[in-house]
Amino acid sequence: MVKRSPLHKRIIREIVGDLGKYLTIFILLVAMIGLASGYFVSIGSMITGYKEGFAKYNIENGNFTTRYEIRRSQKKAIEENGDRIYPIFYKDIPINNSITIRIVENRTEVNLISLMEGRLPTRNGEISIDRTFANNNQFKIGDILHSKTRDYEIVGFAAFSDYSALFSSNKDSMFDAILFGVGVISEEDFNNEEGEQVYRYAWKYANEPIDENEERELADEFVKRVRENVVLDDYNPRYLNQAIKFAGDDLGADSAAVHLFLYIMLVIMAFVFALTTADTITRDAGVIGTLRASGYTKRELILHYLTAPFLVTMVACLIGNIIGYTWLKNVMSNLYYNSYSLPYYPTLWNTEAFLETTISPIAIMIVISFIVLHRQLSITPLQFLRHDLSRKKQKRALRIPHGLRFLTRYRLRVILQNIPNYIILFIGLLLANILLMFGLGMPVTINHYQETIVDDLLATKQYILTIPASIDTESHALNNLIAMMEFQNAVETKTEGVEKFSAYSVETYNAVRQEDVLVYGVKSDSAYLKRKFEYGEVYISNACANKFKVDVGGTIQLKEHYDDKIYEFKVSGIYPYNSAVAVFMDQRYMNEVFDLGQDYFSGYFSNQEITDIDEKYIGSVIDEESLTKVSRQLNVSFGGFMSAMRIATFIIFFVLMYLLTKIIIEKNSQSISMVKIMGYSNNEIQKLYIRATTIVVIVEMLLCLPIATTLNRWMFDSYLSQRMTGYLPFYMPNWIYGRMMLMGLGAYAIVSIFEIYKIYHIPKTDALKNRE
Amino acid sequence: MFLEIKNIRKSFGVGDSKVEVLKGIDLGIEQGEFCVLLGPSGSGKSTLLNIIGGIDSADSGEIMIGDDRMSNMNEKQLTQYRRKHLGYIFQMYNLIPNLTVRENIEVGAYLSSDPLDIDEIIQVLGLEQHQDKLPNQLSGGQQQRTSIGRAIIKNPDILLCDEPTGALDYNTSKDILKLIETVNQTYGNTIIMVTHNTAIKDMADLVVRLRDGVIRDITKNETKVKAEDLEW
Repeated sequence: MVKRSPLHKRIIREIVGDLGKYLTIFILLVAMIGLASGYFVSIGSMITGYKEGFAKYNIENGNFTTRYEIRRSQKKAIEENGDRIYPIFYKDIPINNSITIRIVENRTEVNLISLMEGRLPTRNGEISIDRTFANNNQFKIGDILHSKTRDYEIVGFAAFSDYSALFSSNKDSMFDAILFGVGVISEEDFNNEEGEQVYRYAWKYANEPIDENEERELADEFVKRVRENVVLDDYNPRYLNQAIKFAGDDLGADSAAVHLFLYIMLVIMAFVFALTTADTITRDAGVIGTLRASGYTKRELILHYLTAPFLVTMVACLIGNIIGYTWLKNVMSNLYYNSYSLPYYPTLWNTEAFLETTISPIAIMIVISFIVLHRQLSITPLQFLRHDLSRKKQKRALRIPHGLRFLTRYRLRVILQNIPNYIILFIGLLLANILLMFGLGMPVTINHYQETIVDDLLATKQYILTIPASIDTESHALNNLIAMMEFQNAVETKTEGVEKFSAYSVETYNAVRQEDVLVYGVKSDSAYLKRKFEYGEVYISNACANKFKVDVGGTIQLKEHYDDKIYEFKVSGIYPYNSAVAVFMDQRYMNEVFDLGQDYFSGYFSNQEITDIDEKYIGSVIDEESLTKVSRQLNVSFGGFMSAMRIATFIIFFVLMYLLTKIIIEKNSQSISMVKIMGYSNNEIQKLYIRATTIVVIVEMLLCLPIATTLNRWMFDSYLSQRMTGYLPFYMPNWIYGRMMLMGLGAYAIVSIFEIYKIYHIPKTDALKNRE
Repeated sequence: MFLEIKNIRKSFGVGDSKVEVLKGIDLGIEQGEFCVLLGPSGSGKSTLLNIIGGIDSADSGEIMIGDDRMSNMNEKQLTQYRRKHLGYIFQMYNLIPNLTVRENIEVGAYLSSDPLDIDEIIQVLGLEQHQDKLPNQLSGGQQQRTSIGRAIIKNPDILLCDEPTGALDYNTSKDILKLIETVNQTYGNTIIMVTHNTAIKDMADLVVRLRDGVIRDITKNETKVKAEDLEW
């Protein structure tokens, strides 16, 4: 029969006796593990649901838009090798004055709709709308939406499988689930509804491509075939379609960061635990010496001191996982459901997540505690009995100049004594500050962008004209000419103060991210731009320079959208325009370079609304509202997350400061007791011990600021350049640093009150205890 | 009388487990006197020393030091009292482990507006070679010298010594006793030393024997034996 060590009986008493410490560690572990577990489970389940959705909802392989409905013969030609096309026509209609809803008919073959609440429309006057969009606008079932033509009663909420992120156009920097939504109505209502019908077709390949390379090849072949048969206005293969792919890419994208955060926090907590255990060993030195002298082995004692960290971590892992699976899973998925229109998913058991949130924390805790315990218990029983716990016998005291004030030297000694604690504290503070800076800085960056955009506007409104697709069809030269003349007449305006410019959309080439770039050709005497561009000069916008790291003198390569033609320009200067990735040059030069013809123009700068051009010729209007789409959506997507982050960092600040300061006070309780006996007042003792830590905390917080700024800027730039279309300048006003210091020092002030209380209550008799 | 102790009573525990450790102690000590409190374990000598030192309180009775009445003092005043009048030496030295010898002595100097010269004290204690060492680099005797330095640097009126040689060997103990004797003669501090080593009584002016919480005997030594000549 294996004999149980009687020492085990003191473990529960030890935990209860130092409940403050164990409870604090326990709560932080439960919170961390719960959040990580909730995140992994929800993300794992959502990703599985998202991927399965492609087959379940028969999501398109791509879509294209034509000016007119495709004829049967054209359809037959396109589908000749087994690929299929399906009409997914839509109309964008204004609702309740400020919102745009893309209305579609119910789909039965492709891009199926998943009903989430209520029902689909069964008769005229009914509409089922996207759940996220409804949620953002607080629409409820039974509410009435007013279009120009008629009223619709909301009868259901749904997820549209080809709009998991609500991008109204694939060229948009960001989806907009606030002012843009999708809705399904009856066929009759669809036909009667005012608004331009867009002839969009979804395509499905005869055989699903096995990887993205094959998908690209298939897409190129397919589009070539389509172009041979019809005039294309636009096309988006699925792998480039942000409305379908963005949510899926984003779902897993934070996993690495969450893993990193979890592991760093676990290591920090393991070190905190190890330091507290080391402190317990110092206190128990006499007992350990006696037990070792009586025949207890080092192994038995290591196991004994490992038990409390093991028990606390294990219980924290179990409870964290239970909370993660039941409650935090929903909290986490709601963060995504606030942004993305995903169908409901079943919670899937995630073995990897379970191991990562149970085995990993326990292993990290045990390994680090074991290393520290093994080192500490390596000294002889006699050394324990003599309370001589230093492993190096002749450790020299670091010389501190005698000329310094006594109190200064004393504090320096306290700091030197606790360097391991302060290092752990620094790592923890740095991590918390990075999160806090993100939590505070992101909304500010977004709002700052929103504010500066107004100053940044080239004109109150930029009208980008849509040239009829027929014009660029080289095979019909006469028609082309006529259409061009018609177009030029139709887009003349009498609005005062307007200025014509050329705009040409190309895409980046050889850059970190393939992205649309709008090239502006402006008049040499432009009244709207802040500088003149000489013939041959090429300026790039701030946004372009910063995002793609191109400077004056460098080169920028641009590529035609549906062609292999490459343009290379030497950058003459940077134009102060943060709102878009754009290139500016003289209009004559631009028309020549892009072979657009001498009189070509395709847009107007105007400070007034243009009302005398037919809407069908206006492709898009760039104004404050369109440019703030990114910031608006980011505010909604990140809003709750940022608040949670601020609270989480305050908790991390507090817990780490509390635990590490507590260790320092406990470690010195005998000395504190002694100086009390000698006649030091509590205030003086507080000046010696608390102030030493105060100085360190202030220095560490200050050190964290530039490091956190650099890391945040780097993370922000990486995110921006790799994952987001458009540009958002990183902005960190000084008050954020002030607020970070305030939060850190605020948490420390609360901790100090606890520690001052603790100092006040260290009994003078501690120094009288005969430690042998 | 410089230090006057009147009818001090002290008990620990409650109910059936209540033990009275001091049962009415009356004692007077003159300024500059060297007083030894002798007695077996449990006689109450350390408790009496702690009450005189203001780190423990009596249940009843009074202690007067000069014009100050301890029973009327609150915690703040007691701190001031210890700061102004007392130096403490313990059996286990109680040095601050992360301060050097010199810095440990400075901990005492900080409390006084007119401390003795630290270099002189270090020299008297024979610690010049060790002043920049940490306590764990010192022998027991050197540590106790440091703690004496810390206690006397502020030149206290009363030096309270609780078994100062209890953890030391014969020769080191004699060195320490010689040092305390020198301090008493040089600076004129009143010294109250708790010990159960009866040999030490011969170097004192006043010997107080306690047993079971009462004073059994008070003797004044007409002739004192030098610490160097003590044998045990």
